[in-house]
Order: sequence, then structure tokens, then C-alpha cells
Amino acid sequence: MSTNPLRPYLGRLVGKKDLATGIQMFQIELLEPEGQAAFADYRPGQFAFVSAFGAGEAPFGITSIPSRGPLLEFAINRVGHVTQALHSLEVGDPVGVRGPLGNWFPMDEIKGRNILILGGGIGGAPLRPVIHTILDNREDYGHMTILWAARSPDLLVFTDEYDTWRHAWATDFHVTVDQGDEHWTGNVGLITQLLEKLAPSPQNTVAITCGPPIMIHFVALTLQRLGFAPDQMLTTLEARMHCGIGKCGRCNLGEKFICVDGPVFWQHEIAGFLEGFL
Amino acid sequence: MRFIRDDHLRAWLDRLAGEYDLVAPRDVDGHLLYRPVESSQNIVFDYERPELSAKDFLFPPSETLLRITRQADGVTMEEVLPQRQQVIFGLRPCDARGLLAIDALFIAREPVDTIYAYHRQRTTLVGLACPRMWEGCFCTSIGGAPDGTEGLDLLLTRHDDGYAVQVLSDKGAALAAQMALEERAGEPPPSERNAASVPLPPPADWPAWFNDPMWSRHGERCISCRACTYVCPTCRCFDVTDEVIHADTRGTLIERVRTWDACTSPNYRRIAGGHNPRAKKPDRIRNRFFCKFHYYPTDFGPTGCVGCGRCILVCPVNIDITEVLRDVAAHVEGRSSQ
Repeated sequence: MSTNPLRPYLGRLVGKKDLATGIQMFQIELLEPEGQAAFADYRPGQFAFVSAFGAGEAPFGITSIPSRGPLLEFAINRVGHVTQALHSLEVGDPVGVRGPLGNWFPMDEIKGRNILILGGGIGGAPLRPVIHTILDNREDYGHMTILWAARSPDLLVFTDEYDTWRHAWATDFHVTVDQGDEHWTGNVGLITQLLEKLAPSPQNTVAITCGPPIMIHFVALTLQRLGFAPDQMLTTLEARMHCGIGKCGRCNLGEKFICVDGPVFWQHEIAGFLEGFL
Repeated sequence: MRFIRDDHLRAWLDRLAGEYDLVAPRDVDGHLLYRPVESSQNIVFDYERPELSAKDFLFPPSETLLRITRQADGVTMEEVLPQRQQVIFGLRPCDARGLLAIDALFIAREPVDTIYAYHRQRTTLVGLACPRMWEGCFCTSIGGAPDGTEGLDLLLTRHDDGYAVQVLSDKGAALAAQMALEERAGEPPPSERNAASVPLPPPADWPAWFNDPMWSRHGERCISCRACTYVCPTCRCFDVTDEVIHADTRGTLIERVRTWDACTSPNYRRIAGGHNPRAKKPDRIRNRFFCKFHYYPTDFGPTGCVGCGRCILVCPVNIDITEVLRDVAAHVEGRSSQ
């Protein structure tokens, strides 16, 4: 009998830190050779289920890349039963990991193009592997523009990396918040407003977006106004999946399953879907 | 024809009950259900359509996928699968076809759902032909028949003082080898068919009507009770959760449990941030019917409906799958005649 695809690989939580209010970074070491082999070559945009044994498992975009080390990283927002349990874990505790699952950003196909990255809130998590891949293979890609956003300053993720991103070669980094606080001196407003203000050229550019559905929707409209064609826009969608292997039904968008047909889609694919994600 | 007398059939079933997990039609407090039986005396032989399908015994409503033990020195996981072979006796032909629909997704499409596949492999399906179609039945409109053989290992048909026996697979032959079969002249007549049929618009005809107002008409009255998916032989959506069975100073015993889920439930498509792209009932009802007649056949092959009619009988607000099919067919017809 072949391996049960619903059995997670065993892992151990080896690092954990606060990223933002309610959001923590989890670093996981895989303990079994089968798990290490499965995750030897995962790609930017893929996801995995993380188990807090006794509470359950939930799917998360993997926010690390294998070329930077064997630890798997996940940025996890505390919003429900499983994520609450994950946040309660301590370094050294056992966890389960099932994956890698889904398709990935076509990092080879977009080589030589300028890259525009638009991340909103926890939606930045699956985009960090794209940024890291480009930074680590800088000569393979054109100019990189990063637009980063959150509802408020305390919800911005990966803040300790902003200086690196900002000062990287041929890279622009812009950040905005929907609402500032007494310490915030940067941009205030929606990511779409920042996008319109910066008006990046669509010339030889691919835009990669992740954020809440409403943001993905309006960013796509704004990009369209700026002259981006549907085959210049990539996004990654989410759903509260239960299997990740196209069986449980939870993530269907019409005849597509986000888990196996996605989570990464071109805008022209999304435009052709019978059912919308909004 | 091969034939088995009533008394020989009972003797065979009694022997099966000792060697196998035997499931058969049984009266449970006035409800006719497929249920485990201990002897042929528990079996009802003259019945219509069991109130629930037989998917329970291959894709249980609640099933432990993994038993997880957490102790100081680590975590172990094991599968807890029943060891005995299983026979489902008295399966109606529509319910066998329902399993074929689930096979198309859980087994034929990689990766294989190994736990479902294990149940399929350990189970032999012994059908009992319906002498006629019952209230709500429309199997003949969906490619089936009250005496259909598809998906079955054996099919029995009531005849005189016993049953005609059709052997349909190697598994069926292995079981039939233990039957006191005799050769008799003649064949049982085919089962009675309903004269009226329900139209089945082909999968490609559905997308044009995705945004049609008919979904509000069919869906607004839905009360999201999910009974339709519960009784359906092909609905296969599931949830996976952990249950802590026992915890003490030595460790924790956890079961990772798969339970049936339903696309008609309000939070089915709700995502972690709270957004719900299918928050409206008509959208959920539309998804259920599009899944059965467009998504499922387009993606996996079989139609996601076998015409058993259970969802029609069980719906508390009279949402009727045949009415939906007629509605879509009338739209298709109306457009092609324009």
C-alpha cells in the first residue's frame, strides 16, 4: 500500500519569534528522512499543513526557501483554533508538517523581467520566498519594486528585513499602512493608492500579488489601469483547505481546486474561472 | 441462470456473518438502513431504498485517520484500520454507482486516498436488484437501472423461491464459490422502469447558466441543514480535526479524525481572514448542483449523482434535484430554439 498522503512528517519547533501583533514566525526542523527528502526542493509559493498535535492542522504558505537552509519557516497569524494552539507551542515541541503542496511561482519563466511585488498583511508570507529568490539570484531578474502594506504599523511583517530589501541592488521598497499611529511617519493609505502614485511601468514587468481577497481584486484593477496585461499578473489564493491534495472539496473555485490547480494563478486564469474568489 | 434458494441464501449469509464484517439492510427503530448484522435473521430482504447510502462503510461519517501518541520522548502515529474483510449485502445498484463516483476522485486521481482505497479493497459488494423504481427514484435518467450491475461484484434478483445470481467480478466469484448455487432454466424479467424520465443536460451545457436567476429561486429557501449531502451516495467532502482521547502525565492520545463535510454549510468556503466567497445560500446550492453535473464529470468523469432520489425525500424545504435538472434543460432548450 502506498503512503497515506494525509499523514504528516514529524518535526520539531526550533525557533519562534513575534513578527507583528498576533503573528509569529515558526522555524521547524524535519526529523524523519522521508520528510527531509520531501522538502528538499520546495518552491516559492508552495504551501504545507502544520499540525499542532491535539488541536489539528491548517495550511500555510511556506515563507522560507530551501537554498537558505533546511529549516522550514511559516508566518502564522493567530486567528482560530489551530493557529491559537500553534502560538502556544514552545521551542522544542513536536509539530507535524504535510507537503510541500500546490504549484509555485514560475521563477524560471519570469527571469529577465522586472518584478513588482505587492504584499498585504499576512499575504506577505508567501511572497517572501519570491523576494529571497530574487535577492539571491539578483542578476537573473530585472528591477524589483516591492510594495508592502498592512492595516496598521503593528501588523507589518518581516520589518527586520526592510533595510536589506531597501538597500539591495536595483530594488525599491515602499510601505504603507491603512491607518498610522503616533509613531508612524511613512505612507498612509491603501496599497492601491500607493500603486497609483508610484505608477510602475508595465514594460517587461510581472506583478505578483498576495493579500486579502478584496486587495487582490482592487490591485488587479489598478494594475490593469496602469497597462498591465492579465499575463503580467500573478497572484496566490487561499482557502481553509482540509486535505491539500484535491479530495476534501473545501477550496473549490468552480471546477478548480486552489490546492492542486493553484494556489498560484495568472490573472488570465482567474478571469476565466466560472466562480470568483471574492 | 444461476440460482440460489432462500434457505441456502440464508445459510450462506450466516456463514458470511461469522467470517466477515457483514453489512446488510436492517430495520433500526423503523428506519431501513445498511447496518452491520450478526446473522441472516437481522436482514430485511423485502425493502425499498435504504434511507442512507452505503458510503458509510467505505467513507465513514467519522473515521480515525491516525492515532497519535505524544509522550516525553516524541510522537508516534499509526493507522487503525479494521482487519476483517467486509461484505455489503443487499446493496441497491444506485449505491454501487455512487461508490464508483467516489472512486474516480479518491482512487483514480493521484495521490490515492489510501484509507478509502483500503476499505474498497477489503469490501465485496453484493447487490440486490430493485424490482421497480421507488418514490423519487430517477436512476434510469442518470445512466443507471434498478437492476444495473455497474460497480457490483454480485447481483441477486428475486425470482420464485430464491434469487437469480449474476457473478460480475473475481471478488464476486470467490464469494459465489461458497454459495449452494443451482442451474435453472429461464431468467428473471427485467425490473419495472418508470415511464417518465428526467433530462440530464450534458456538463458542457451548464456554465452558460451559472449566473442565472434560477439559483435564487432554488436556493433562497435552503435552510443549510445539509441533509442532502448526508444522504447522498456521491457527496464526499470532508473535514479533518484532532480529538484528544486521553491525557495524563505519561502522555496524550490523540485521534486525527476525518468527518463528512457539506458544501451547503454556511462557513464551508470561509477563509481564515473571515472572507466568505460563498456566503449566500443560492451560491451554495448552485455549487452543489454544479459540482454534481458540471465540475465532477468535467474533472473526474462520472456524474456526481446516481438518481437515488434520497435528497428529494429528505429536503425539509422541497428543493428537488429533478426540478433543477428540468430547469437547466428548459433553459438550454429555450436558447437552442431561439
